[in-house]
Amino acid sequence: MKRYDLIVVGAGPSGLSAAIEAARCGLTVAVFDENAKPGGQLFKQIHKFFGSKEHQAKIRGYKIGETLLSEADAVGVKVFLNATVSGMYMDKEILVRRGDAMEHCKADAIIIATGASENMVTFDGWTLPGVIGAGAAQTMMNLYSIQPGQRVLMLGSGNVGLVVSFQLMQAGCEVIALVDASPRIGGYGVHASKIARCGVPFYLSHTITKAEGPDCITGVEISQVDDHFTPIPGTQKHFDVDTICMAVGLSPMSQLLKMAGCSMIDDPRRGGQVPLVDENGETSIPGIFAAGDVSGIEEASSAMIEGRMSGLSAAAYLGFLSEKDKDSSLNELEVALNSLHQGMFAPGSKGKAFTKTDEGIAVSQSLLKKGYLDEADIARFNHFDKKSGVHPVIECTQNIPCNPCQDACPKDCIKIGKTITALPRIDADSTCTGCGMCVASCSGQAIFLVDEDYEPGYASITLPYEFLPRPQKGDLGTALSRSGQPLGVAEIIDVRSAKAFDHTTLVTMKVPVAQAMTARFYKREAQRAEL
Amino acid sequence: MNRISEHPILGNTEMGRKVAFFMDGKQMEGYEGEPIAVALKAGGVMIHRYTQKNHEPRGIFCAIGRCTDCVMIVDGVPNIRTCITPLVSGMRIQTQDGVTALEVTE
Repeated sequence: MKRYDLIVVGAGPSGLSAAIEAARCGLTVAVFDENAKPGGQLFKQIHKFFGSKEHQAKIRGYKIGETLLSEADAVGVKVFLNATVSGMYMDKEILVRRGDAMEHCKADAIIIATGASENMVTFDGWTLPGVIGAGAAQTMMNLYSIQPGQRVLMLGSGNVGLVVSFQLMQAGCEVIALVDASPRIGGYGVHASKIARCGVPFYLSHTITKAEGPDCITGVEISQVDDHFTPIPGTQKHFDVDTICMAVGLSPMSQLLKMAGCSMIDDPRRGGQVPLVDENGETSIPGIFAAGDVSGIEEASSAMIEGRMSGLSAAAYLGFLSEKDKDSSLNELEVALNSLHQGMFAPGSKGKAFTKTDEGIAVSQSLLKKGYLDEADIARFNHFDKKSGVHPVIECTQNIPCNPCQDACPKDCIKIGKTITALPRIDADSTCTGCGMCVASCSGQAIFLVDEDYEPGYASITLPYEFLPRPQKGDLGTALSRSGQPLGVAEIIDVRSAKAFDHTTLVTMKVPVAQAMTARFYKREAQRAEL
Repeated sequence: MNRISEHPILGNTEMGRKVAFFMDGKQMEGYEGEPIAVALKAGGVMIHRYTQKNHEPRGIFCAIGRCTDCVMIVDGVPNIRTCITPLVSGMRIQTQDGVTALEVTE
């Protein structure tokens, strides 16, 4: 039987992070993963991450995955792929299936980082081909470069539903509508706004009542739901779609921990059956740790920190790291983790309806119900003295853990402060040069550069653009409002790409000055004719 | 065509070698090493199997080898998860009917 100091199950963000930390302390580490490729879901995450520098904010998920893999390789972590761990027994022994063979392996410590699986909801016709999970959509388009469908309806307005909807549009698919039984959008408002300004409608307090089609999806019927989430007869709406995508939550894959006899609890806030763990991820069995989504559904940034914490704790448990060194490293990581656990979307805030931001500003109800800020909301959040010339307009109105904009500005024009969930403020004394670094750095694509004095009667608006084909200087198209409504003709006066922008193109359009605070997106000429 | 040849973030797609395979006896093309399910989807195949009791169609659902909805008969072996099984030149794929091959009338 093969022996290691540490076995990690799962080569996703938390498992790899754990393995790297432990290997750095001198442990021999083996990572087992049932998939053919390592990295878990990271390689499907093509958006810029939130957080701050230590959380690798504004870096796209797949880049973080590449870094983790090369780090793991550099410190000698052995990653076994196509290796399904199907059992965990007493004395830290595991059973691994590799091909047609079963193998036993043993370690002195084990970290379970198996992640989560997707939930689903059932409705009439839900088993028809064409009904897929949001993860399936991401796998198809971002790993295997194939469109999951042409016309897609998304069920679920949490961050997964919002992010995948945007990615579907980036892959050239049409998102027909976003539907959620909840009366409020569950994910970040900035993610919803990216979709809303492309014209995608949100149907809150609605659910799917029927997937239509003879042998694969040709349409979908949605209905409004009452306060008890029961469909209201007579409220049906029909859409022609070929794909229905479900993003209705995740459940921890904690079976191995249960099998090994770890104390489990049922915690809806953490997504279901999770192990009881201490602050470093150690379960009720000494030497067995859990990290990442398996111990409570969050996201990849916190999974990586939890992984590192469990890796260090496992090293200390086996005597490879002094208690003193462990404590100092863990303290630092705890601070980083805590900063992600603040604000309106913190794990402890699940289900809470906030009426005011931490700053005491009334939240935008329009953002929660329709996916975009209305004009009255903008005035509340953008209170600065308008100066002549170009200046940033930041449409970030919820307390989310993210601060890359603060570091992006070379003129220190944008301030967030130490609490990374605070709303960004614009320093009226600094002078914006229009460099666009803030626009490209904003993971939520919520920063625009506006110049009301571009030309007499005309304003310029610079916006982040991540679709193909990219507009060209001189193009004429249509300016769209925050809700995706056409406002009139817009002329593209500048298109900027730079390595520092990381695939985000900055498009500057000229619009009548009256639209300076309403135009937020651009539709190309070819699409204009269809309006 | 539903393949994404150019992506705003991921750039140009690098494909493997183009290979031929057989779907219910008909020749199709895909890229070596990509999941069978992807090659089938590119060729417009949505139905992977029919359930045993109610003869209901099933296709791709999770795309990560977890749900087993997309299983088919591959080179004579039933219950192969096509979403995680790499395509090989000359593979014979058959729509699964229960646990056997669907009879295809040419």
